[in-house]
Amino acid sequence: MCLGIPGRIVEVHETQGLPMGVVDFGGVRREVCLAYVADQIKPGDYAIVHVGFAISKVDEAEARRTFAVLREMSQLDELEWMKELAP
Amino acid sequence: MRYLSEYRDPKVARALVAEIKRAATRRWVLMEVCGGQTHTIVKQGLDELLGDAVEMVHGPGCPVCVTPLEQIDKALALASRPDVIFTSFGDMLRVPGSDCDLLQVRARGGSVRIVYSPLDALELARKNPDKEVVFFAVGFETTAPANAMAVWRAKELGITNFSVLVSHVTVPPAMVALLDSPDNRVQGFLAAGHVCTIMGWTEYEPIAAKYRVPIVVTGFEPLDILEGMLLAVRQLEEGRYEVENQYVRVVRRDGNQPAQDLVSRVFELVDRNWRGIGPIPRSGLGVRAEFADFDAERRFSLDGIHTAEPTICRAGDVLRGVLKPFDCPAFGTLCTPEQPLGAPMVSSEGACAAYYNYGRFRSAV
Repeated sequence: MCLGIPGRIVEVHETQGLPMGVVDFGGVRREVCLAYVADQIKPGDYAIVHVGFAISKVDEAEARRTFAVLREMSQLDELEWMKELAP
Repeated sequence: MRYLSEYRDPKVARALVAEIKRAATRRWVLMEVCGGQTHTIVKQGLDELLGDAVEMVHGPGCPVCVTPLEQIDKALALASRPDVIFTSFGDMLRVPGSDCDLLQVRARGGSVRIVYSPLDALELARKNPDKEVVFFAVGFETTAPANAMAVWRAKELGITNFSVLVSHVTVPPAMVALLDSPDNRVQGFLAAGHVCTIMGWTEYEPIAAKYRVPIVVTGFEPLDILEGMLLAVRQLEEGRYEVENQYVRVVRRDGNQPAQDLVSRVFELVDRNWRGIGPIPRSGLGVRAEFADFDAERRFSLDGIHTAEPTICRAGDVLRGVLKPFDCPAFGTLCTPEQPLGAPMVSSEGACAAYYNYGRFRSAV
């Protein structure tokens, strides 16, 4: 029920005074309410979206840092890691 | 997709499992309070991989599962009315009420529609001014801001044929109720990452200190969950009982302030009955008096509906972690996802359905 999916903000606009935007989920695009993240989000950012509402901006630096710690633990090959994250 | 696949790497998962096993000098009992995490743990077999390092108990983390039968019966009564379009998230449709479910009401001619967002239900109300549109507002703190916004917007835009049947619950009071119960076995918690995305984690700090339990705010991907377990195990081994944040890329200590603000404008703390657990004081949200016109229970006078929980379903013991789903006499025989006796078998996030769907018919360890 509390499922939240990370998506990339493509476009920001207002509908009858409500901050809205288009979010891309790996190719699927949807209109999402941005009211709760309006002051921190811009196109290109990633956000966690739950039942049509962006509830948090994904902190890319923290995301990288967390995974770096985990990766160190498994001593993953650096090149392999770069390859896997390449778009 | 970014921020998903990175956290599913099997090589890193194996390293984390090995690290947890190295860290644990005994078997620790941890509880997750999030149906999404329950689903991932059982689907990926994370608990089985950990063997005698960690026992996972699946807490009341599925709002569908803890919605009391009485609220389901109220939903069924509303959905049966010819003047009502009843809207809901998809996972509520097959939850059995006293004598049928919402799908059966639809088959009998009731207007029951699945929506992705409560704003979609509001839009339906705007497009159907001659109908009453009711939205079944269930969920934890994660979902409350979305549902609050639908009510707020209805008032702002003057949409008077929209209301919500509320069954909102909040996580910390349920954790306290579990910790207070005499048969509690839980020694540490994984707190649900998206609940904390909204609320932050300050509410958990007094709980961790008072009950001496580590509480780790944890994400939803396999590596998030394994790292959450590792942090909890390390705390237990070192005798620390703190709130720690594993899900740093998403959760901040104070949560989402604008979301909390709107939730507290529209809703207030109320006592709620949890299916399988019973009444917990101030453990849920109800519509404030200022928004009474948008509260389906006040609008349609549903006071006459009072339903007692059935006795054969032992959902309460499963949700409290006292009973594993496969130890319930009805599991897989009288109670299956096709013919569920209780909500944990209905929702894909329920512990019983997860065990059934992934073939857990006996203990692996």
